[in-house]
Amino acid sequence: MSAAKAEITLEGLGRSFGSVRALDGVSLRLESGRIHGIVGPNGAGKTTLLRILAGLLRPGSGTLAITLDGKTPSPEKLKAALAYFPQEQSLYPDLSCMEHLEFFRDLYGISAGDFKTRAARLLEISGLARFSDRKAGQLSGGMYKKLGLACVLLHSPSILLLDEPTIGVDPISRREVWNLLYSFAKEGMLVALTTSYLDEAERCASAALLESGKLLLCGEPAELLKRAGAASFAELFLASTGGGK
Amino acid sequence: MSPKLRVAASIALKELRHIRRDPFTLAMALGMPVLLVTFFGFIIDFHYKNISVTVFDHDGTPASRRFAQSLGASGYFRLSKAHEGLTPDYALENDKSFSALVINPGFGRDLDKRGAGPSAQLLLDGSDNAKTGVTLGYFQQASAMAFDAARGQRSPPPSSPVSTRFLFNHELNSRWFIIPGLTVVICGLVGILLTALTVAREWENGSMEMLLSTPARPGSIIAGKLAPYLALGFCGVAFVYAAARLVFGVPFCGSHALYAFSCLLFLLAATAQGLFISIATRQQQLAMQFSIVSGLLPSLLLSGFVFPVDSMPLFFRWFTCILPPRWFMETSRDLFLKGAGLADLWPQFLMQALLCAVLLALGLKKFKTDLEP
Repeated sequence: MSAAKAEITLEGLGRSFGSVRALDGVSLRLESGRIHGIVGPNGAGKTTLLRILAGLLRPGSGTLAITLDGKTPSPEKLKAALAYFPQEQSLYPDLSCMEHLEFFRDLYGISAGDFKTRAARLLEISGLARFSDRKAGQLSGGMYKKLGLACVLLHSPSILLLDEPTIGVDPISRREVWNLLYSFAKEGMLVALTTSYLDEAERCASAALLESGKLLLCGEPAELLKRAGAASFAELFLASTGGGK
Repeated sequence: MSPKLRVAASIALKELRHIRRDPFTLAMALGMPVLLVTFFGFIIDFHYKNISVTVFDHDGTPASRRFAQSLGASGYFRLSKAHEGLTPDYALENDKSFSALVINPGFGRDLDKRGAGPSAQLLLDGSDNAKTGVTLGYFQQASAMAFDAARGQRSPPPSSPVSTRFLFNHELNSRWFIIPGLTVVICGLVGILLTALTVAREWENGSMEMLLSTPARPGSIIAGKLAPYLALGFCGVAFVYAAARLVFGVPFCGSHALYAFSCLLFLLAATAQGLFISIATRQQQLAMQFSIVSGLLPSLLLSGFVFPVDSMPLFFRWFTCILPPRWFMETSRDLFLKGAGLADLWPQFLMQALLCAVLLALGLKKFKTDLEP
C-alpha cells in the first residue's frame, strides 16, 4: 500500500518550551515495515517528539533526517507522504464518516477512481462500512480512532504517525486497531505511535522508553525485557527510573 | 481543477456543511439581517409625522385660521387649539404639546404688508434636538405654503433670496437614508462575526492540528474559509436590497453591477477582517469579542450610518479612512439615491480594494502552519 521506503533518523534531538525541557538529546532510528512504539508516562515528551516528526514543531537542538527511498524529499513531498493523527479529538463531529473521507480525498488530491477502491477497502478493514453515514460525533471511541486512521491512510502514506491511538478505546477495539497497524506495517509502511499504556510496548517491533524528555531504553521489546530481567514493561520502566527500589 | 483550488473548494464545502448543521451560525446569518432590517427600518425613523402643535390664535381672523389649517393639512403636524387659560410655556413644560404656534394680533391685516410683515412665533421643545431640527425644516417648508393659503393667493408671495430644494431625497425620508446604510451593518455583522469563529473553532476542536499536517496550504485554507461567508453575506445583501425596494420603497438609481461589485469588495474586506481576528486569537470567545468591537461598532458609529463623518472631530475623520465601512457607506448611499457611476465612486472603490488587500495579506501572514507557541 505504501509508496516509498521511509527512514527517520534523530540525533540528539532536544526541544524546550520556556524553562521546560520537553525533549533532551533523543537519538532514534525508525524504518519502514515496522511499528515503532514511543512509550512513556504522561508528560514524558512523546507528543512533542511526534509533532516534530510530523513537521508541526521545530527541533530545538540536534538533527532530524527523513528520507524516502534514500533521498531527502522536499517539504511538500514529505507532507504528501506523511500521515498524522493527533491524540486530541481532531475530526469534525457534525460531518459523517463518508464526508470526512471525501474531505481528505480532496486535501490529498486523490483521484475519484483511487478513492473508490481505497475508501471501500479502508471502510471494510476498519469495520466502518456500516457506519459511513454516521456523524463522527456519534461514533464510539474505537470507531472514532479508526475513522481518523482511515482519513489519514487514504493517500497511502509512507509514514504513519499516531499519537496515543488506543487511548480511551475498549480492549476489543484496541486489538482491532493493532491488527490494522500490523497489516499496514506488513505492507512496508513506517508506523510510529506513542502510548502511555506500557504493556502496549510489547506489541511493537521496537520500543523507545521516554521519561522527562530523555530516552531511557530503545530496542526490540523482548530483547529489552530479557536484558533487564523484567517480566513486563511496567516493571522495566520502574527499574529504569529507580521507582522500583 | 488545480490541487490548490480543489483544496479550497473542499474546505468551502465543509464550511457550508458546518453552517447548515449549526443552529447558531444559521440564526446569526439569516436571523440577524431580518432583525436589523425590522429594527432599523421600522423603528428608527427620523421622518416625524403628527408633530403636536398647540395653536394660540390671538388674531382670530379668517386668514390666521386658514394659515393654521393649511399647516395641519401638510400631514406633518397635528394641530390642537389652545384652551382658555393655557400658556405656551405651560403646554411645552408639561409635555402637553411638542410645539406651540402663537399667531399674534394683526397677522391677517399685515399679510400683504412688505417689510415687517405678519407676526407669528413657533415655540419648540429643545430638549429633543433631533426632532426639533426636523420640525423646523418641515415648518419652514409648510409655512411658506400656509402663507399662500392664508393670503388666498391674493398676491404673489414675497420672494426669498435663497430657495431650498432637497435633491435625491426630496422629502428627507430617513428610511431612504437608513436602509441603504443597513447593507453595511449587515455585511459587517455576517462577514466579520461569522468568519471570526471559523479558524478559532478549528483550533479549539483540535482539527487544525490534523489539517496542518496535510498538504493544504494557508492560501487554500483561507480561500475555502472565506467563500461560504461571502455567499452568506451576499444573501444578506440581497435580502436588504429586496426589503429596501419592496417594503420601504427606496429608489435605486445606480448601476446594479456596480452595486454588486461594491458589495463583494466590502464583504471580502469584512470576511478578511473576521478571518484575521480568528487567526490571531485562536479562541472563539475572544474572536467574538474582538469582532463585535472591531466590526460592529465601526459599522454603526464610524461609517456615517447615523452620525455624519464630516461632523466628527479631525482625528476620527482621518481614522475612519482605514475603516472599510466608511467607504462602502458612501458607495451604497450614492448608488441607491444619487445614481452615482464609477467616475464618481472610484476613490471609494480604490480605498476598499486597498483595505481588502491589506486585511488579506495580514491574515495570510499571521496564519500559522505549525503548532509553535
